This record gives sequence, structure tokens and C-alpha cells, in this order.
Amino acid sequence: MTTYAQPRYLPGGDRYMLIEFGNEMNLELNFMAQGLAGAIVANKVGGVIETAPCFASMLVHYEPDDISFADLQTEMERLIGSLGPSDDIELPSRLFYFPTVYCDPWTKAAIDDYTAKINPEKEYDPAFVARLNGLSGPEQLVRVHSGTEYWVAALGFWPGLPFMMALDPRCVITAPKYNPPRTWTPQGTVGMGGASTAIYPVATPGGYQIFARIPVPIWDPKQRFDVFADSICLFRPGDRVKFVPVSVAEFEDVERQVADGSYTYNVVEYQKFSVAQYKAWVSRLDRSKRF
Amino acid sequence: MIEVIKPGLETAVQDWPGRIGFWNQGFPPSGPMDSWSFRLGNVLVGNAPGAAGLECQYLGPTLRFVDAAVIALTGADMGAKLDGVAVPLWESVAVAAGQVLALGPAKSGTRGYIAIAGGIATEPWLGSRSTFHQAGVGGIGGSALKVGHEIPIGPGNGTAGRRVKPEARPVFSTDKRWSVEVCAGPNDDWIDAAGQQRFLSADWKLSSKSNRTGFRLEGPDWTFAEKAYDKPPEHGSLPSNIIDHGYPLGAINLAGQTPIILVNDGPSMGGFINPYTVPQAAFWKLGQSRPGDIYNFRQVSVERAQAMAREMKALCTQASIL
Repeated sequence: MTTYAQPRYLPGGDRYMLIEFGNEMNLELNFMAQGLAGAIVANKVGGVIETAPCFASMLVHYEPDDISFADLQTEMERLIGSLGPSDDIELPSRLFYFPTVYCDPWTKAAIDDYTAKINPEKEYDPAFVARLNGLSGPEQLVRVHSGTEYWVAALGFWPGLPFMMALDPRCVITAPKYNPPRTWTPQGTVGMGGASTAIYPVATPGGYQIFARIPVPIWDPKQRFDVFADSICLFRPGDRVKFVPVSVAEFEDVERQVADGSYTYNVVEYQKFSVAQYKAWVSRLDRSKRF
Repeated sequence: MIEVIKPGLETAVQDWPGRIGFWNQGFPPSGPMDSWSFRLGNVLVGNAPGAAGLECQYLGPTLRFVDAAVIALTGADMGAKLDGVAVPLWESVAVAAGQVLALGPAKSGTRGYIAIAGGIATEPWLGSRSTFHQAGVGGIGGSALKVGHEIPIGPGNGTAGRRVKPEARPVFSTDKRWSVEVCAGPNDDWIDAAGQQRFLSADWKLSSKSNRTGFRLEGPDWTFAEKAYDKPPEHGSLPSNIIDHGYPLGAINLAGQTPIILVNDGPSMGGFINPYTVPQAAFWKLGQSRPGDIYNFRQVSVERAQAMAREMKALCTQASIL
């Protein structure tokens, strides 16, 4: 068990506190981070400007003129103590289906550019990730990576970028990040680092291993599609994502629909996510199996 | 209203403290990199310290004032001229309708600020007028100034001839070296004792591969503590990999062996450790330096960094005006 008995309270300069709940990625820790963020809002903790919960930690941005680091820690300890057990959690969870080209030509171009200009020894990402995880090759990587729903644990790095975790333990794969990072990544790229999968909302630098791309926008400052009516970011924490492997031709077809505004997002909105049921299901699985 | 004749290198509308409250969706604050100079400019022209103004980077713009205004130039000296006549820095100046303000390349420092009485009155986006170039939001059309842009100005009440006391102004390095304060943490315990000492004693050169999302540094390699190697695989396999977590603004983010200071348009989250953090009160030094300059980092306590921010806030008030 690598959940800390007591969370760690770490300073980040004059206005930030990082609270670490544990040293691994599991839903339990993410629930704790999301729960604490909600409790801070509900309790209107003075001096807290905003929070950024993530997989196993939460960043607090505070105003030191209103609350000291020590008093903030005391307040956080009190709130964490008041959080109930996660088995009680049952929350609405939307499920998004995305047409996805794996081992696509666009991320390959970004990798080739990186190999040419920055690190000639960089192995092609899909082959590299497959090898590190004991998979037979890029084909099995596609099967394993697309074989699970992903849990949106946090948004960050870039507006609307989802940090996601594989819900099926048989599909958990890990990868190191780029060293040094890429200077660009195509919009809609799907990649992973650590045990986290992400979608790049726009073309940005990046450090994840990349091996797929979706044609569907996940943020939209112009709010052209009705899924963006409440926010220009598509996702909320607690959403789920399923990647559906498609061909380049299908990708381009969807891309055209997105361009002319006729695309319809494939979203399931009637389900709730039950932590207790999820845990019961996971406990029955043979985690050593791969797809 | 002000008309843009020449945009300069990357001149943009910014306000302070910028777009706050959206870090958990990934929106950075943006805003001026040297908020000390920026705020003093606003105070000179009678604005609130955080009112929207222009940040000019490396090469300033040429602007035609359609309406009369009171302005103040602070920060980097860009050799500003008003209809050909030199304009003093750190002083409020009256501009008549039709006059042209021309700025050139930065001669000292890197970022110059133009404050206008009444402030820039563009439409705020998520609560701020600051420009976030890379995402194309805020400012005017989400971008740096372009030829022909028209900059709306709010109703102001400025007085010409007010000056900032010399002792209240930031003093820019003249030898391309900057002593920059840092606080240890959040992940300083991932670096071994030798690595910590090396970080605090080495020369760190600001790389040309730097922008408003991150300032890349060139220097010696890092060495790590045991916990950087002995960790569950979901952290990633490199010693500087950690389970993705929230990044403090100002974090010195260790991407592999490359330290990157996360500045105003930086990422809110990611999977690299942040052994040190540059406090807000030292950001002006980053904003006024340029690629090739050398940083030496000096560790201060969190309490000292908070006191520095309070001292700077006290300087950015009427008490600093003559």
C-alpha cells in the first residue's frame, strides 16, 4: 500500500501548497483529491484562491496575506479527516466515444521530426511502449490501449487536457516521458506517460509517448458544438472515454464533419459510476491477462 | 482609442494578476512578466495597479493616439519617442490626439510596459483581459498586436508629470547576470545533497528555446536521491518522472535533465518533478532577462518570499510616486 498514512504538505514558492496523498495511481487517491477540492469549495476556506486536484495529489493556490502555510495545513488536515469512505461514492459519469487512428501518420511525423532534430536515438513510440510493457508489438498495443474505458482524473497542463487512467487493470501500461520534451505535438494526439493517458487539445510541446490521434475537438473557445454550452472544455473529472480504432479515411471523414459543423458527439449520459461496484468487479479479474 | 501602426515583436494586452481561478481546467494566468514595472506604470497614470496595459517584448510598437491620453512607460528602455521627441521612463506623460508613440528595441531590460490612464478596455475573457497567445484567447482577438488593431481605452483620470521615486524602481542587471530567489520544494527531496548544492552554486544560462510558457535553462546535469529511482512504475522510468501533479507557477520543472521555469503562460500540470519554485516577487527578473543571460539561484524561505511579495506590493502604490 503506497497511500500515505498522513498526507504530505509541500511548499511551492510563496503561494502554493502541494498535498500528496500517496505514491501510486489508483482511483482511491483521485477520489480523495476530488473530494478535498469539493470540500474546500463547500466550506469556503478563507485564503484559498483555487485548487488543482490530480491523480494522487492536489495543488492549492493560496493568498499568504490571508492564511499562513501552517494554518492552511491545519485546515486541510481537518477537511481531509471529515471526508467519508470512497465506497459510498456514486457519481454521474458521461462516456465519450472517440474515433481514433492508432499508429497514425501525423504523430509519426512529430516523432520523426523529434528524432531528426532533438534525439536521434529515440525509438518509434508505439514500438517502444509495446516493448517496455511486454507486448508483442504496436498491434497488441492498439488492442490493449483501446480495450478499456478511461477515467478522467483531472484537467490540466493545457486548457481542457484530460489526464486519464485505464479503468480495466488488464489494460494498464506504463511509459517514461520524453527526455528532453518534444517542442510540438499535433492537435488531438493521444499519448501516455507514467500510467496516464492524455489527449492534446491543441498543438503544444509535450513529454508523453504518442501513438494515436482523434479528429474531434476537446476544447472549443468558439463553442460551436452544443457539448460546449457550459464550458469551452469538453471534459469534467469523473467522465469516461473509450477510444474506437478507425482508419485514416474514417478519421478524415469525421474531420470534414467537424469542419462544417455537422459532427455529432457520441456521448452516453445516463450512467452513474459506483466505486463499490467497480471495486467488486476489479477484485474478480485476473490482472495478469492482456487482451 | 489607439491605432497600431507597427506591432513590435510580440506586444500584447495584459492585466495583473491575470486569469486567476481556472488552473484546474488548465488555464494559466498570463499577465505581465515584470508585474513590478507594470503595476508602477498603472499607479503613475491613476489606474488600479492591475489595470490592462501593453507588454512590449524585445522590440516595442508604434502607436497612433486617436484620442488624447495620459500614459506612462516603465520597465525596459525601448527608446520611446513621441512625434520624434524622447519620452522619459517612470513618468506620466500627456499625449495629444493624433500623436504617434514609437518604441524601438530594448536597450536595458527586455520587457517594456505602456500604461494608459483609464486602462485598456477590451472585452475580458474568463475574467481577464490578458492575452494567452498560444491558445488564442484574451487581449485583442487572442493574439499579440497586429497592424491596424484598434485598442479601446476606458475613461481615465491621469495627471502628467508624476514620477516614480528612484528607490521604488527595479534595477536591471547590466552584466547579463541575475541573482534569482528560489524556495525549496515541492520536490527538492528527489534531488541528492550534491545536486541541491550544484543547483544553488552553478551558472544557469537562459536558453533561446524559451517563451512565455517556459524558460529553459542550460547548466550542469542533475543528480538524484534514492526516491527518484525507487518508485512505482506509474511515475515513469526517468528519475525526474513523477505521477502527474499540479505545478506551482514559477516551478523549476525538471524535464529529464532540462530545468524549465514555468512562467506566466505555463502548464498547470504534468509529470515532472519541481525541486524548486521561483516566488512571485522574483518574476520581474525573469521578465527583464533574455536568452544568453545567466541566473544564479539564491534560496530563501517561504516566509521570506511572502515578505518580498508584500514589500513589492507596498512599493506599487502612491507612496512611491513623487
